[in-house]
Amino acid sequence: MRNLFNFIIRNSHWLLAILLIAFSLYLLFDNNPYQRSVFLSSANRVAGWMYSASNSVVSFVHLKKSNQLLMEQNAAIESELVQLREQLDTRLVADTTGMEAVIPDSIGKAQFEFIPARVVNISYSGVNNFITLNRGSSDGVKPDMGVISQRGAVGVVSNVSDNFAVVIPLINPKFRVSAMLKNSENYGSISWDGNSLSEVQLGELPKHEVYQEGDTVHTSFSRIFPKRIVIGFVSSIGKSRDDNFSTFNVRLATDFYSLQNVYVIKDSYYEEQKVLEEALLQ
Amino acid sequence: MKTDYLKEFLLFVLLILTQVLLLNRISLFGIATPVLYIYFLLKLPMGRSPYYVIISGFLLGLIIDIFLNTPGMNATATTIIATFRKPILLLFYGRDIHDEYVPSIHADASPFIRYTIFIVLIHISLLFFIESFTLFNLMNTLIRIAVSFVISTPIILALDSLTFRKKPGEQA
Repeated sequence: MRNLFNFIIRNSHWLLAILLIAFSLYLLFDNNPYQRSVFLSSANRVAGWMYSASNSVVSFVHLKKSNQLLMEQNAAIESELVQLREQLDTRLVADTTGMEAVIPDSIGKAQFEFIPARVVNISYSGVNNFITLNRGSSDGVKPDMGVISQRGAVGVVSNVSDNFAVVIPLINPKFRVSAMLKNSENYGSISWDGNSLSEVQLGELPKHEVYQEGDTVHTSFSRIFPKRIVIGFVSSIGKSRDDNFSTFNVRLATDFYSLQNVYVIKDSYYEEQKVLEEALLQ
Repeated sequence: MKTDYLKEFLLFVLLILTQVLLLNRISLFGIATPVLYIYFLLKLPMGRSPYYVIISGFLLGLIIDIFLNTPGMNATATTIIATFRKPILLLFYGRDIHDEYVPSIHADASPFIRYTIFIVLIHISLLFFIESFTLFNLMNTLIRIAVSFVISTPIILALDSLTFRKKPGEQA
């Protein structure tokens, strides 16, 4: 018995090592993003604060490019505004002479709201890519909300703390979203093969799908994104896992290297739709 | 003695900051990232208690993980390295060095370089294999390991030849 105790005492640092390694492995494989505590991710207060501090320096480097983008977007919105105004004018004239029996709701409830956020950290050095945003639950951000940039889809919120949120981007192998070509009715699934930060794969499309290089790929049915959010553009035909479906390589619309400003999409009907759909599953 | 611990703590913090705020934003050719923080474990004195080495190694990895959102990945790798540090040290330095000895390129370059190469290679291999556990092809992982190793080792050796300079003959 005494020998046993001696043995344990003499080798207890091995026991400690085994315990700690076991704990690390537990963290490693217990990767359910919803169960994982916010404390152990970059959404925690200290990490988030440090990332914002360093980002306030780094963002100067991208200032020129961001400005350019904002101006482009401004121009696009401006032209859309003019167009809509014209349409509205013509409609108003036509409508007043038209049917009056049905009065449409004058202020329809907007389904989607956009919460502007800034990227405080982005990792793209490995397989586990993620983005940290400077908006959290106190700004109304919740897990499962979609995130877009001025150019296109970015990812989905996974963890949220009071002031920060962690986003799983399109360039993460865990990310899946349903998508379709612009001029088609078939939808497939977007995934990432880990090879390039500017390309994702659109798979599970029927073999007969017609495509041209440069075709726009946008979201289809999804609880995360509204319909018709641009994801990217077809660049080439990719390797298929089996012969029944084809896979396309898609050049991403969002440039993850210089991502600074994003919008988190708040869907006011999200809960309602989720409850309804999940009631069926039970 | 006290100042040693203080120095180690400062090194610990500085290495984490450098790794997280600077090096992890580098993605050479889109595949490789310099891994510097393991330098902390390289530089602990020879006779440090194994508990101290293992726990600090674990904390080092865990804090890096928290910043990089990779729970357990770096912690597993650093804890394994910390556990086997002493046998590896003995392997390259032999048994005749005293407990206060801090491995350094200034004191004895050849074993230090071999010891660094060995530890960095194991650490980076562990890291990338853990990272690609389920996904992605072996070739890709091997290339990532090779390139990361080739850029990390010179950085660590260069860092060591810049710092902790002690005049020859002075006791550590």
